[in-house]
Amino acid sequence: MDLVRHLRYFTVVAEELHFGNAAIRLGMAQPPLSQRIRRLEEELGVRLFDRSSRQVRLTAAGRLLLAEAHEIVARIDRLRDLVGRAEDAVLRVGVPPDLGSAVIAALIAGFRDRDPEVRLTPAEMWSADQVVALLDGTLDVGLVRHPITAPGLSFGPVLVQRAGVVLAEDDPLAALSSVHLADLAGRRLVLFPREPGLHEETLAECRRHGFVPEEVHEAQTLGLVLAGTAVAFGPEVALPGLRWRPLLGSPLAWRLSTAWRGQAGAAAVAFGAVALRVLKESAGMTDDGTAPARRLRSRPSSGFLA
Amino acid sequence: MTDLEGLFRTAGVTGFLHAVDVDTGAEVAHRADDPVVTASVFKVALLVEFFRQADGGLLDPAERVTVRADRHTAGSTGVSVMADDVTMSLRDLAYLMVAVSDNTAADTLIDRVGLPEVNAMLASFRLDGTWVEHNCHDLFSSIVEDTGQAEMSTDPALIAGLRALDPARTNRSTPRDMTRLLGMIWRDEAASAASCAAMRGLFGLQVWPHRLAAGFPYDDVAVSGKTGTLPTIRNEVGVVEYPDGGRYAVAVFTRSYGTAQNQPRADAVIGTAARAAVEHLRG
Repeated sequence: MDLVRHLRYFTVVAEELHFGNAAIRLGMAQPPLSQRIRRLEEELGVRLFDRSSRQVRLTAAGRLLLAEAHEIVARIDRLRDLVGRAEDAVLRVGVPPDLGSAVIAALIAGFRDRDPEVRLTPAEMWSADQVVALLDGTLDVGLVRHPITAPGLSFGPVLVQRAGVVLAEDDPLAALSSVHLADLAGRRLVLFPREPGLHEETLAECRRHGFVPEEVHEAQTLGLVLAGTAVAFGPEVALPGLRWRPLLGSPLAWRLSTAWRGQAGAAAVAFGAVALRVLKESAGMTDDGTAPARRLRSRPSSGFLA
Repeated sequence: MTDLEGLFRTAGVTGFLHAVDVDTGAEVAHRADDPVVTASVFKVALLVEFFRQADGGLLDPAERVTVRADRHTAGSTGVSVMADDVTMSLRDLAYLMVAVSDNTAADTLIDRVGLPEVNAMLASFRLDGTWVEHNCHDLFSSIVEDTGQAEMSTDPALIAGLRALDPARTNRSTPRDMTRLLGMIWRDEAASAASCAAMRGLFGLQVWPHRLAAGFPYDDVAVSGKTGTLPTIRNEVGVVEYPDGGRYAVAVFTRSYGTAQNQPRADAVIGTAARAAVEHLRG
């Protein structure tokens, strides 16, 4: 049992002397609030509220506990405050590992110019891992590939990256100046790991355009491409043994945005602005307006409360 | 046993699973006590209370009620999409609620059975992680309030703010609670033997093939269950019965990172993870 949280609930109910009003103040439903107060009472082995009359009243034990509970809750708040201030000097950001060191360097330099007080600590993480880290508070801001979400996250403006195809240099398609997705038929595909939204969307787009990969590998590096056994998608790369070619009609529009949990701090907002500029200037990304949204056609099996 | 975490990860979801041998109690648990959003899986609890009230003479399952076409709850199956008023028995509404997850049928039953009564039943069985906060209509209203639109969205920002996806603020349960309730239905403990048999029959009539049932493509294996679906949420709980008499209650709840409505891998992993768990229990 999270005793501090339960004590916080107790102090609010004690102030309101009304479970419904207290629940509204706490932003929760009344039954779970009542349930938690009952659990606290069980834990402490005393009744805290007298609910026998029409009005909720504190028992003697409840009155005794109230002052202490206020003190404990206030101390914990102060504790959190202190820790928060100490951490303010560092902004922990997640970046996609494929972004490349030049772009990451530009992000760090751009942010240093804007906010020299705060040190940026970038961690290379795929989007699903960033989401987990944002939710458990080990990351302040992320740069995630869409469509991805989790309860409580907020997102900055969306940028679009037009992915091309990465081929082995001796692949016959490398001789062309651009490649159609259907030309890739029969080949295997390497996709980034831990990019669930991007994974589904990219495979759907491939199918729409006549490319059904023989096999899909999730891998972080381009070894399989270099070995000539698979192709990959992504921004332009210049690596020995590999060739990057644009895709005809730019069918793969990868979307990316900043993400954070709860209220974004000043440093997070500043990073968002820097990221937006740097990703456009150094990573060839554009505003989302250029990518047409698809109209949703719902189906009974995936509809509301199916 | 198969790496369940890896299975779920490959499908782009976070998974919560509990599987238990209905007769021996042997179990497989993976985040089995975490609070999860039930979506339509809450209809299992509603069905149990409905049949208990029938057992107690509080309602007549054969009583015919008229559902007016202008009073429908949102939904894409059953009475919810019918053009005209319909009159049918309470138990036939229960059938539609289970077979095709008909939201209007569910809300009509809730009007008769009462949500406080459903929650009291859950509390009496000590299913403390399970709570029915609202009916389908109110759940839908919260989504419309949160997103400003009546269509289910795929926009990550809109979905992230949905109260309907926060277990603390919507109908919730745990995988272990759901397998316990199913086990009680299959052992004739949740209501009278006749009512439990009727409930088992209804779960066996559920039409969806893409989740739990997909994991058991065997002609001699019965799969009975109830799905649950909301943006990023795909669930199914049910019982798998083998010809040798082995029967296993399985509850799989998933939450996808991606927001697409069509994610065949996320649907299918419910079946593959369930099969991995059941095969482990069968040794």
